[in-house]
Amino acid sequence: MSDIAPFHGFGLGLRRAHYADFLEGAVPVDFVEVISENYMVEGGKPLRVLEQVRAKHPVILHGVSMSIGSAHGLDEDYLARLKALAGLIEPLWVSDHLCWTRTSAHNSHDLLPLPLTNGALDIVCDNIDRAQEALGRAMLLENPSSYMTFPDDEMTEWDFLAAVVRRTGCYLLLDVNNVYVSAQNHGFDTTEYIAGLPLERVRQIHLAGHAPGAIVIDTHDREVCAEVWALYAEAVALCGPVATMLERDDRIPALPELLAELDRARTIAATDLEVPA
Amino acid sequence: MNALVEQQRSFMARLLDEERMLPADWNGRHAAGLAIYRNNYRTATVEALRSTFERTQRLVGESAFRRAATHHVIVNPPSSWTLDMAGEGFDETCKQLFAKDPEVAEIAWLEWAMHRAFVARDAAPLSAQAFTRICASVVDTNWEDLRLVFAPGLALAPVCHDLSRLWPSLSGAGEEPTILSLETPHHALVWRQGERPVFVLKPDIEAHMLAALENGATWGDTCATLVGELGEDTAVIEAGQMLGHWLSQGLICGIR
Repeated sequence: MSDIAPFHGFGLGLRRAHYADFLEGAVPVDFVEVISENYMVEGGKPLRVLEQVRAKHPVILHGVSMSIGSAHGLDEDYLARLKALAGLIEPLWVSDHLCWTRTSAHNSHDLLPLPLTNGALDIVCDNIDRAQEALGRAMLLENPSSYMTFPDDEMTEWDFLAAVVRRTGCYLLLDVNNVYVSAQNHGFDTTEYIAGLPLERVRQIHLAGHAPGAIVIDTHDREVCAEVWALYAEAVALCGPVATMLERDDRIPALPELLAELDRARTIAATDLEVPA
Repeated sequence: MNALVEQQRSFMARLLDEERMLPADWNGRHAAGLAIYRNNYRTATVEALRSTFERTQRLVGESAFRRAATHHVIVNPPSSWTLDMAGEGFDETCKQLFAKDPEVAEIAWLEWAMHRAFVARDAAPLSAQAFTRICASVVDTNWEDLRLVFAPGLALAPVCHDLSRLWPSLSGAGEEPTILSLETPHHALVWRQGERPVFVLKPDIEAHMLAALENGATWGDTCATLVGELGEDTAVIEAGQMLGHWLSQGLICGIR
Protein backbone atom coordinates (compact mmCIF):
# COMPACT_ATOMS: atom_id res chain seq x y z
CA MET A 1 0.00 0.00 0.00
CA SER A 2 1.38 3.41 -0.94
CA ASP A 3 2.49 5.79 1.80
CA ILE A 4 0.65 9.00 2.59
CA ALA A 5 3.08 11.90 2.68
CA PRO A 6 2.64 14.43 5.51
CA PHE A 7 0.80 17.60 4.54
CA HIS A 8 1.12 20.66 6.73
CA GLY A 9 -1.76 23.08 6.45
CA PHE A 10 -5.02 24.38 7.87
CA GLY A 11 -8.43 23.73 6.39
CA LEU A 12 -12.18 23.91 6.76
CA GLY A 13 -15.07 21.68 5.83
CA LEU A 14 -16.97 22.56 2.67
CA ARG A 15 -20.54 23.20 3.81
CA ARG A 16 -23.45 24.40 1.68
CA ALA A 17 -23.65 27.69 3.61
CA HIS A 18 -20.18 28.58 2.29
CA TYR A 19 -20.44 27.29 -1.29
CA ALA A 20 -20.55 30.81 -2.71
CA ASP A 21 -17.54 31.92 -0.65
CA PHE A 22 -15.45 29.04 -1.96
CA LEU A 23 -16.66 29.33 -5.56
CA GLU A 24 -16.48 33.09 -5.93
CA GLY A 25 -13.69 34.18 -3.63
CA ALA A 26 -10.18 33.29 -2.56
CA VAL A 27 -10.67 31.59 0.82
CA PRO A 28 -7.38 31.49 2.77
CA VAL A 29 -7.25 27.77 3.56
CA ASP A 30 -4.62 25.20 2.62
CA PHE A 31 -7.16 22.45 1.95
CA VAL A 32 -10.86 21.72 2.05
CA GLU A 33 -12.44 18.65 3.63
CA VAL A 34 -15.74 17.31 2.32
CA ILE A 35 -18.12 14.64 3.57
CA SER A 36 -17.54 11.94 0.95
CA GLU A 37 -21.11 10.65 0.93
CA ASN A 38 -22.49 14.05 -0.10
CA TYR A 39 -20.62 13.72 -3.38
CA MET A 40 -20.93 9.97 -4.04
CA VAL A 41 -23.77 10.75 -6.44
CA GLU A 42 -24.42 10.11 -10.11
CA GLY A 43 -24.19 13.72 -11.24
CA GLY A 44 -25.66 17.18 -10.85
CA LYS A 45 -24.66 20.32 -9.01
CA PRO A 46 -22.84 18.84 -5.98
CA LEU A 47 -20.17 17.27 -8.17
CA ARG A 48 -19.80 20.43 -10.26
CA VAL A 49 -19.27 22.48 -7.08
CA LEU A 50 -16.71 20.02 -5.77
CA GLU A 51 -14.81 20.00 -9.06
CA GLN A 52 -14.66 23.80 -9.03
CA VAL A 53 -13.46 23.87 -5.42
CA ARG A 54 -10.91 21.17 -6.22
CA ALA A 55 -9.52 23.40 -8.98
CA LYS A 56 -8.61 25.91 -6.25
CA HIS A 57 -7.75 23.75 -3.23
CA PRO A 58 -6.49 20.29 -2.28
CA VAL A 59 -9.44 18.22 -1.04
CA ILE A 60 -9.75 15.55 1.66
CA LEU A 61 -12.56 12.99 1.42
CA HIS A 62 -13.91 12.34 4.91
CA GLY A 63 -16.52 9.61 5.20
CA VAL A 64 -19.15 8.83 7.80
CA SER A 65 -20.73 5.68 6.36
CA MET A 66 -18.03 3.17 5.50
CA SER A 67 -18.95 1.31 8.71
CA ILE A 68 -15.41 0.08 9.16
CA GLY A 69 -16.38 -1.84 12.28
CA SER A 70 -19.31 -3.62 10.70
CA ALA A 71 -19.35 -7.33 11.50
CA HIS A 72 -21.11 -7.87 8.16
CA GLY A 73 -18.15 -6.55 6.19
CA LEU A 74 -18.12 -3.56 3.92
CA ASP A 75 -20.65 -2.48 1.30
CA GLU A 76 -19.00 -3.10 -2.07
CA ASP A 77 -21.25 -0.60 -3.85
CA TYR A 78 -20.18 2.03 -1.33
CA LEU A 79 -16.50 1.24 -1.92
CA ALA A 80 -16.93 1.41 -5.70
CA ARG A 81 -18.60 4.81 -5.48
CA LEU A 82 -15.95 6.14 -3.10
CA LYS A 83 -13.21 4.88 -5.39
CA ALA A 84 -14.84 6.60 -8.35
CA LEU A 85 -15.07 9.87 -6.41
CA ALA A 86 -11.44 9.59 -5.32
CA GLY A 87 -10.47 8.99 -8.95
CA LEU A 88 -12.32 12.14 -9.97
CA ILE A 89 -11.12 14.41 -7.16
CA GLU A 90 -7.63 13.03 -6.46
CA PRO A 91 -7.85 13.83 -2.73
CA LEU A 92 -4.96 14.28 -0.34
CA TRP A 93 -6.40 11.21 1.37
CA VAL A 94 -9.58 9.35 2.29
CA SER A 95 -10.67 8.96 5.91
CA ASP A 96 -13.43 7.44 8.03
CA HIS A 97 -14.14 6.57 11.66
CA LEU A 98 -13.46 3.75 14.07
CA CYS A 99 -17.12 2.82 14.46
CA TRP A 100 -19.94 0.93 12.82
CA THR A 101 -23.12 2.39 11.35
CA ARG A 102 -25.14 -0.48 9.92
CA THR A 103 -26.26 -4.08 10.14
CA SER A 104 -27.29 -6.13 7.12
CA ALA A 105 -30.79 -4.64 7.43
CA HIS A 106 -30.54 -1.10 8.75
CA ASN A 107 -28.31 1.94 8.78
CA SER A 108 -28.23 4.20 11.84
CA HIS A 109 -26.33 7.04 10.14
CA ASP A 110 -24.62 7.53 13.47
CA LEU A 111 -21.11 6.57 14.56
CA LEU A 112 -21.93 3.65 16.85
CA PRO A 113 -19.43 2.34 19.42
CA LEU A 114 -17.41 -0.83 19.02
CA PRO A 115 -16.53 -3.16 21.86
CA LEU A 116 -12.75 -2.94 22.26
CA THR A 117 -12.19 -6.67 22.00
CA ASN A 118 -9.78 -8.83 20.04
CA GLY A 119 -12.69 -10.13 18.00
CA ALA A 120 -13.70 -6.60 16.98
CA LEU A 121 -10.05 -5.78 16.27
CA ASP A 122 -9.84 -8.68 13.80
CA ILE A 123 -12.99 -7.48 12.01
CA VAL A 124 -11.86 -3.85 11.84
CA CYS A 125 -8.48 -4.91 10.45
CA ASP A 126 -10.09 -7.19 7.85
CA ASN A 127 -12.41 -4.36 6.80
CA ILE A 128 -9.61 -1.80 6.55
CA ASP A 129 -7.55 -4.24 4.50
CA ARG A 130 -10.53 -4.67 2.17
CA ALA A 131 -11.17 -0.91 1.95
CA GLN A 132 -7.54 -0.07 1.21
CA GLU A 133 -7.39 -2.84 -1.39
CA ALA A 134 -10.60 -1.68 -3.08
CA LEU A 135 -9.60 2.00 -2.99
CA GLY A 136 -6.03 1.27 -4.07
CA ARG A 137 -4.72 3.60 -1.40
CA ALA A 138 -4.02 3.75 2.32
CA MET A 139 -6.65 5.51 4.39
CA LEU A 140 -6.86 7.47 7.63
CA LEU A 141 -8.88 6.19 10.57
CA GLU A 142 -10.38 8.69 13.03
CA ASN A 143 -10.92 8.12 16.75
CA PRO A 144 -14.64 8.71 17.49
CA SER A 145 -16.44 10.37 20.36
CA SER A 146 -18.24 7.74 22.39
CA TYR A 147 -21.00 7.77 24.96
CA MET A 148 -20.65 4.26 26.31
CA THR A 149 -18.12 1.47 26.68
CA PHE A 150 -18.83 -2.26 26.84
CA PRO A 151 -18.48 -4.65 29.77
CA ASP A 152 -16.42 -7.01 27.59
CA ASP A 153 -13.80 -4.42 26.54
CA GLU A 154 -10.34 -5.98 26.55
CA MET A 155 -8.13 -2.98 25.76
CA THR A 156 -8.03 0.79 25.68
CA GLU A 157 -9.08 2.68 22.58
CA TRP A 158 -5.54 3.93 21.98
CA ASP A 159 -4.20 0.36 22.18
CA PHE A 160 -6.93 -0.72 19.78
CA LEU A 161 -6.01 2.04 17.30
CA ALA A 162 -2.30 1.31 17.62
CA ALA A 163 -2.96 -2.35 16.83
CA VAL A 164 -5.08 -1.42 13.81
CA VAL A 165 -2.31 0.80 12.45
CA ARG A 166 0.33 -1.86 13.04
CA ARG A 167 -1.69 -4.60 11.33
CA THR A 168 -3.17 -2.69 8.38
CA GLY A 169 -0.67 0.08 7.62
CA CYS A 170 -3.43 2.69 7.77
CA TYR A 171 -2.85 6.19 9.11
CA LEU A 172 -4.60 8.17 11.82
CA LEU A 173 -6.84 11.19 11.93
CA LEU A 174 -6.56 12.40 15.51
CA ASP A 175 -9.69 14.25 16.61
CA VAL A 176 -8.62 16.01 19.78
CA ASN A 177 -12.18 17.07 20.58
CA ASN A 178 -13.24 13.42 20.39
CA VAL A 179 -10.40 12.47 22.72
CA TYR A 180 -11.59 15.13 25.16
CA VAL A 181 -15.27 14.14 24.88
CA SER A 182 -14.59 10.43 25.40
CA ALA A 183 -12.16 11.15 28.24
CA GLN A 184 -14.85 13.17 30.01
CA ASN A 185 -17.39 10.39 29.47
CA HIS A 186 -15.17 7.43 30.38
CA GLY A 187 -12.65 8.91 32.77
CA PHE A 188 -9.35 8.22 31.01
CA ASP A 189 -6.39 10.58 30.78
CA THR A 190 -6.13 12.51 27.52
CA THR A 191 -2.33 12.75 27.66
CA GLU A 192 -2.06 8.99 28.14
CA TYR A 193 -4.43 8.48 25.19
CA ILE A 194 -2.40 10.62 22.79
CA ALA A 195 0.95 9.30 23.98
CA GLY A 196 -0.32 5.75 23.42
CA LEU A 197 -0.94 6.31 19.71
CA PRO A 198 1.66 5.72 16.99
CA LEU A 199 1.98 9.48 16.44
CA GLU A 200 4.25 9.13 13.41
CA ARG A 201 1.15 7.80 11.59
CA VAL A 202 -1.02 10.84 12.36
CA ARG A 203 -1.62 12.83 9.18
CA GLN A 204 -4.47 15.06 10.29
CA ILE A 205 -5.98 16.61 13.42
CA HIS A 206 -9.65 17.55 13.79
CA LEU A 207 -10.86 20.36 16.02
CA ALA A 208 -14.51 20.89 16.98
CA GLY A 209 -16.89 22.04 19.68
CA HIS A 210 -19.03 19.90 21.98
CA ALA A 211 -21.97 20.24 24.38
CA PRO A 212 -21.04 19.85 28.05
CA GLY A 213 -23.25 17.84 30.40
CA ALA A 214 -23.44 14.70 32.49
CA ILE A 215 -22.50 12.97 29.26
CA VAL A 216 -20.52 15.28 26.96
CA ILE A 217 -21.81 15.21 23.39
CA ASP A 218 -19.83 15.82 20.22
CA THR A 219 -22.08 18.37 18.52
CA HIS A 220 -19.86 20.36 16.11
CA ASP A 221 -22.18 23.28 16.74
CA ARG A 222 -19.98 25.75 18.63
CA GLU A 223 -16.46 27.02 18.92
CA VAL A 224 -13.58 24.96 20.25
CA CYS A 225 -13.28 25.18 24.06
CA ALA A 226 -10.13 26.11 26.01
CA GLU A 227 -9.47 22.53 27.14
CA VAL A 228 -9.53 21.24 23.57
CA TRP A 229 -7.22 24.04 22.42
CA ALA A 230 -4.79 22.98 25.15
CA LEU A 231 -5.03 19.38 23.99
CA TYR A 232 -4.43 20.52 20.43
CA ALA A 233 -1.24 22.30 21.49
CA GLU A 234 -0.12 19.11 23.21
CA ALA A 235 -0.91 16.99 20.15
CA VAL A 236 0.76 19.31 17.65
CA ALA A 237 3.93 19.40 19.73
CA LEU A 238 4.03 15.60 19.63
CA CYS A 239 2.85 14.98 16.05
CA GLY A 240 4.82 17.68 14.29
CA PRO A 241 3.49 19.48 11.22
CA VAL A 242 0.27 17.81 10.06
CA ALA A 243 -2.99 18.97 8.52
CA THR A 244 -5.42 20.66 10.93
CA MET A 245 -9.10 20.93 10.15
CA LEU A 246 -11.84 22.81 12.01
CA GLU A 247 -15.21 21.03 11.90
CA ARG A 248 -18.53 22.86 12.14
CA ASP A 249 -21.71 21.04 11.07
CA ASP A 250 -24.49 22.82 12.90
CA ARG A 251 -25.22 26.48 13.72
CA ILE A 252 -22.66 27.26 11.04
CA PRO A 253 -21.41 30.86 11.33
CA ALA A 254 -20.25 33.16 8.56
CA LEU A 255 -16.92 32.19 7.03
CA PRO A 256 -14.83 34.99 8.63
CA GLU A 257 -15.69 33.65 12.09
CA LEU A 258 -14.46 30.17 11.19
CA LEU A 259 -11.33 31.58 9.54
CA ALA A 260 -10.55 33.52 12.73
CA GLU A 261 -10.87 30.32 14.74
CA LEU A 262 -8.64 28.54 12.23
CA ASP A 263 -6.07 31.33 12.67
CA ARG A 264 -5.92 30.45 16.35
CA ALA A 265 -4.92 26.91 15.33
CA ARG A 266 -2.23 28.37 13.06
CA THR A 267 -0.88 30.46 15.94
CA ILE A 268 -0.81 27.53 18.37
CA ALA A 269 0.84 25.27 15.82
CA ALA A 270 3.41 27.90 14.92
CA THR A 271 4.29 28.32 18.61
CA ASP A 272 4.48 24.62 19.34
CA LEU A 273 6.47 23.77 16.24
CA GLU A 274 9.12 26.42 16.83
CA VAL A 275 12.56 24.93 17.01
CA PRO A 276 14.21 26.01 20.26
CA ALA A 277 17.26 28.26 19.78
CA MET B 1 -21.65 -16.41 13.13
CA ASN B 2 -19.16 -14.24 15.00
CA ALA B 3 -20.10 -12.67 18.33
CA LEU B 4 -19.94 -9.13 16.95
CA VAL B 5 -22.69 -9.87 14.39
CA GLU B 6 -25.12 -10.74 17.16
CA GLN B 7 -23.92 -7.87 19.35
CA GLN B 8 -24.44 -5.32 16.59
CA ARG B 9 -27.82 -6.77 15.64
CA SER B 10 -28.97 -6.49 19.26
CA PHE B 11 -27.57 -2.97 19.60
CA MET B 12 -29.33 -1.86 16.41
CA ALA B 13 -32.61 -3.43 17.58
CA ARG B 14 -32.37 -1.47 20.86
CA LEU B 15 -31.46 1.68 18.98
CA LEU B 16 -34.60 1.38 16.85
CA ASP B 17 -36.93 0.22 19.63
CA GLU B 18 -36.61 1.78 23.06
CA GLU B 19 -38.97 -0.80 24.55
CA ARG B 20 -36.40 -3.57 24.14
CA MET B 21 -34.83 -5.00 27.29
CA LEU B 22 -31.21 -4.04 27.93
CA PRO B 23 -28.53 -6.72 28.44
CA ALA B 24 -28.25 -7.95 32.03
CA ASP B 25 -24.67 -6.70 32.39
CA TRP B 26 -25.52 -3.11 31.36
CA ASN B 27 -25.86 -0.41 33.99
CA GLY B 28 -27.34 3.08 34.02
CA ARG B 29 -24.35 4.56 32.18
CA HIS B 30 -24.87 2.09 29.32
CA ALA B 31 -28.57 2.95 29.16
CA ALA B 32 -27.80 6.67 29.12
CA GLY B 33 -25.21 6.18 26.37
CA LEU B 34 -27.62 4.16 24.25
CA ALA B 35 -30.26 6.88 24.70
CA ILE B 36 -27.84 9.45 23.25
CA TYR B 37 -27.14 7.27 20.21
CA ARG B 38 -30.90 6.74 19.75
CA ASN B 39 -31.56 10.46 19.95
CA ASN B 40 -28.75 11.16 17.46
CA TYR B 41 -30.23 8.60 15.07
CA ARG B 42 -33.79 9.92 15.29
CA THR B 43 -32.74 13.55 15.09
CA ALA B 44 -30.52 12.97 12.05
CA THR B 45 -33.12 11.01 10.11
CA VAL B 46 -36.02 13.35 10.90
CA GLU B 47 -33.84 16.34 10.03
CA ALA B 48 -32.94 14.67 6.72
CA LEU B 49 -36.64 14.35 5.94
CA ARG B 50 -37.25 17.94 6.99
CA SER B 51 -34.54 19.07 4.60
CA THR B 52 -35.91 17.04 1.67
CA PHE B 53 -39.60 17.81 2.28
CA GLU B 54 -39.60 21.52 3.12
CA ARG B 55 -42.78 22.23 1.19
CA THR B 56 -44.60 19.23 2.64
CA GLN B 57 -43.76 20.56 6.09
CA ARG B 58 -45.11 24.02 5.21
CA LEU B 59 -48.29 22.40 3.92
CA VAL B 60 -49.08 20.31 7.01
CA GLY B 61 -47.38 22.40 9.70
CA GLU B 62 -44.32 21.64 11.80
CA SER B 63 -45.82 19.40 14.48
CA ALA B 64 -47.84 17.26 12.05
CA PHE B 65 -44.76 16.91 9.88
CA ARG B 66 -42.61 15.85 12.82
CA ARG B 67 -45.15 13.16 13.77
CA ALA B 68 -45.29 11.93 10.17
CA ALA B 69 -41.51 11.91 9.78
CA THR B 70 -41.02 10.09 13.09
CA HIS B 71 -43.67 7.55 12.10
CA HIS B 72 -41.96 7.06 8.72
CA VAL B 73 -38.55 6.50 10.32
CA ILE B 74 -39.97 4.00 12.82
CA VAL B 75 -41.88 2.04 10.18
CA ASN B 76 -39.16 2.36 7.51
CA PRO B 77 -35.76 2.51 9.25
CA PRO B 78 -33.09 3.62 6.77
CA SER B 79 -31.13 0.88 5.04
CA SER B 80 -29.09 2.80 2.48
CA TRP B 81 -25.52 4.01 3.14
CA THR B 82 -26.67 7.54 2.30
CA LEU B 83 -28.97 9.54 4.52
CA ASP B 84 -30.27 11.17 1.34
CA MET B 85 -32.40 8.04 0.79
CA ALA B 86 -34.14 8.23 4.19
CA GLY B 87 -37.11 9.93 2.55
CA GLU B 88 -37.79 7.08 0.13
CA GLY B 89 -41.46 6.11 0.39
CA PHE B 90 -42.40 9.16 2.48
CA ASP B 91 -45.10 10.03 -0.07
CA GLU B 92 -46.70 6.64 0.67
CA THR B 93 -46.50 7.38 4.39
CA CYS B 94 -48.21 10.74 3.72
CA LYS B 95 -50.87 8.96 1.64
CA GLN B 96 -51.78 6.90 4.71
CA LEU B 97 -51.43 9.59 7.36
CA PHE B 98 -53.10 12.42 5.41
CA ALA B 99 -55.69 10.33 3.57
CA LYS B 100 -58.25 13.17 3.60
CA ASP B 101 -55.76 15.62 2.10
CA PRO B 102 -54.34 13.84 -0.98
CA GLU B 103 -52.43 16.97 -2.03
CA VAL B 104 -49.99 16.25 0.82
CA ALA B 105 -48.83 12.96 -0.71
CA GLU B 106 -48.67 14.62 -4.14
CA ILE B 107 -46.36 17.37 -2.89
CA ALA B 108 -44.26 14.83 -0.98
CA TRP B 109 -43.89 12.73 -4.14
CA LEU B 110 -42.91 15.83 -6.12
CA GLU B 111 -40.29 16.89 -3.58
CA TRP B 112 -38.82 13.39 -3.55
CA ALA B 113 -38.69 13.22 -7.37
CA MET B 114 -37.00 16.64 -7.50
CA HIS B 115 -34.57 15.54 -4.77
CA ARG B 116 -33.55 12.47 -6.80
CA ALA B 117 -33.39 14.35 -10.12
CA PHE B 118 -30.99 16.86 -8.49
CA VAL B 119 -28.24 14.24 -8.32
CA ALA B 120 -29.23 12.09 -11.28
CA ARG B 121 -26.62 11.15 -13.86
CA ASP B 122 -25.54 13.97 -16.17
CA ALA B 123 -26.70 13.74 -19.78
CA ALA B 124 -26.88 16.40 -22.46
CA PRO B 125 -30.33 16.82 -24.02
CA LEU B 126 -30.72 16.63 -27.78
CA SER B 127 -31.79 19.80 -29.54
CA ALA B 128 -34.44 19.52 -32.25
CA GLN B 129 -31.69 20.11 -34.82
CA ALA B 130 -29.45 17.42 -33.36
CA PHE B 131 -32.35 15.00 -33.19
CA THR B 132 -33.19 15.64 -36.83
CA ARG B 133 -29.53 15.33 -37.82
CA ILE B 134 -29.13 11.99 -36.04
CA CYS B 135 -32.30 10.63 -37.58
CA ALA B 136 -31.24 11.84 -41.03
CA SER B 137 -27.78 10.33 -40.65
CA VAL B 138 -29.27 6.91 -40.20
CA VAL B 139 -30.25 6.28 -43.80
CA ASP B 140 -32.46 3.38 -42.94
CA THR B 141 -34.10 5.02 -39.95
CA ASN B 142 -37.22 3.12 -39.32
CA TRP B 143 -39.41 5.35 -37.17
CA GLU B 144 -41.44 2.35 -36.16
CA ASP B 145 -38.46 0.83 -34.32
CA LEU B 146 -37.10 4.05 -32.83
CA ARG B 147 -36.61 4.11 -29.07
CA LEU B 148 -36.02 7.32 -27.13
CA VAL B 149 -33.54 7.83 -24.29
CA PHE B 150 -34.90 10.28 -21.74
CA ALA B 151 -33.14 12.51 -19.23
CA PRO B 152 -31.83 10.57 -16.20
CA GLY B 153 -33.97 11.17 -13.14
CA LEU B 154 -37.17 11.55 -15.13
CA ALA B 155 -40.17 10.60 -13.00
CA LEU B 156 -43.94 10.56 -13.55
CA ALA B 157 -46.87 10.25 -11.16
CA PRO B 158 -50.63 10.81 -11.42
CA VAL B 159 -51.92 13.90 -9.61
CA CYS B 160 -55.34 15.41 -8.93
CA HIS B 161 -54.22 18.87 -7.78
CA ASP B 162 -52.73 21.78 -9.62
CA LEU B 163 -49.17 21.44 -8.38
CA SER B 164 -48.02 24.24 -10.66
CA ARG B 165 -50.02 26.58 -8.35
CA LEU B 166 -49.46 24.72 -5.07
CA TRP B 167 -45.65 24.39 -5.42
CA PRO B 168 -44.85 28.13 -5.61
CA SER B 169 -47.35 28.95 -2.89
CA LEU B 170 -45.27 26.77 -0.53
CA SER B 171 -41.96 28.41 -1.33
CA GLY B 172 -41.89 30.65 1.73
CA ALA B 173 -43.13 30.53 5.27
CA GLY B 174 -46.39 32.33 6.01
CA GLU B 175 -47.93 32.08 2.55
CA GLU B 176 -51.39 30.56 2.16
CA PRO B 177 -51.16 27.31 0.16
CA THR B 178 -53.05 27.37 -3.15
CA ILE B 179 -54.88 24.03 -3.19
CA LEU B 180 -56.90 23.59 -6.38
CA SER B 181 -58.26 20.35 -7.79
CA LEU B 182 -57.62 19.67 -11.48
CA GLU B 183 -60.67 19.31 -13.70
CA THR B 184 -59.11 16.34 -15.46
CA PRO B 185 -56.45 13.94 -14.14
CA HIS B 186 -52.88 14.79 -15.05
CA HIS B 187 -49.41 13.48 -14.36
CA ALA B 188 -46.57 15.44 -12.81
CA LEU B 189 -43.38 15.02 -14.83
CA VAL B 190 -40.04 15.72 -13.16
CA TRP B 191 -36.61 15.93 -14.75
CA ARG B 192 -33.51 18.09 -14.54
CA GLN B 193 -32.62 20.98 -16.85
CA GLY B 194 -28.92 21.62 -16.40
CA GLU B 195 -28.42 21.66 -12.64
CA ARG B 196 -32.03 22.53 -11.82
CA PRO B 197 -34.82 19.99 -11.24
CA VAL B 198 -38.06 21.11 -12.87
CA PHE B 199 -41.59 19.79 -13.30
CA VAL B 200 -44.62 20.27 -15.50
CA LEU B 201 -48.10 18.81 -15.54
CA LYS B 202 -48.91 16.61 -18.53
CA PRO B 203 -52.28 15.30 -19.72
CA ASP B 204 -52.70 11.61 -19.02
CA ILE B 205 -52.53 10.61 -22.66
CA GLU B 206 -49.10 12.21 -23.09
CA ALA B 207 -47.90 10.85 -19.76
CA HIS B 208 -48.89 7.30 -20.72
CA MET B 209 -46.96 7.66 -23.96
CA LEU B 210 -43.90 8.99 -22.10
CA ALA B 211 -44.09 6.19 -19.56
CA ALA B 212 -44.31 3.54 -22.25
CA LEU B 213 -41.34 4.98 -24.16
CA GLU B 214 -39.34 5.36 -20.92
CA ASN B 215 -40.00 1.68 -20.25
CA GLY B 216 -38.50 0.76 -23.63
CA ALA B 217 -41.49 0.69 -25.98
CA THR B 218 -40.81 1.68 -29.60
CA TRP B 219 -42.13 4.86 -31.16
CA GLY B 220 -44.21 2.69 -33.48
CA ASP B 221 -45.87 0.77 -30.65
CA THR B 222 -46.74 3.88 -28.68
CA CYS B 223 -48.07 5.64 -31.77
CA ALA B 224 -50.24 2.60 -32.51
CA THR B 225 -51.73 2.92 -29.04
CA LEU B 226 -52.32 6.62 -29.66
CA VAL B 227 -54.07 5.86 -32.95
CA GLY B 228 -56.33 3.47 -31.06
CA GLU B 229 -57.32 6.23 -28.67
CA LEU B 230 -57.51 9.27 -30.97
CA GLY B 231 -57.87 7.97 -34.52
CA GLU B 232 -55.11 8.16 -37.10
CA ASP B 233 -55.34 11.78 -38.23
CA THR B 234 -55.40 13.28 -34.73
CA ALA B 235 -52.82 10.81 -33.42
CA VAL B 236 -50.28 11.77 -36.08
CA ILE B 237 -50.63 15.46 -35.22
CA GLU B 238 -50.55 14.82 -31.45
CA ALA B 239 -47.51 12.55 -31.65
CA GLY B 240 -45.59 15.14 -33.65
CA GLN B 241 -46.48 17.87 -31.20
CA MET B 242 -45.48 15.76 -28.20
CA LEU B 243 -42.12 14.96 -29.75
CA GLY B 244 -41.57 18.65 -30.41
CA HIS B 245 -42.43 19.53 -26.81
CA TRP B 246 -40.14 16.88 -25.39
CA LEU B 247 -37.25 18.09 -27.50
CA SER B 248 -37.81 21.73 -26.62
CA GLN B 249 -38.07 20.85 -22.91
CA GLY B 250 -34.78 18.95 -22.98
CA LEU B 251 -36.36 15.61 -22.11
CA ILE B 252 -34.70 13.54 -24.84
CA CYS B 253 -31.02 12.71 -24.55
CA GLY B 254 -30.63 10.12 -27.27
CA ILE B 255 -32.18 7.55 -29.56
CA ARG B 256 -31.47 3.89 -29.91
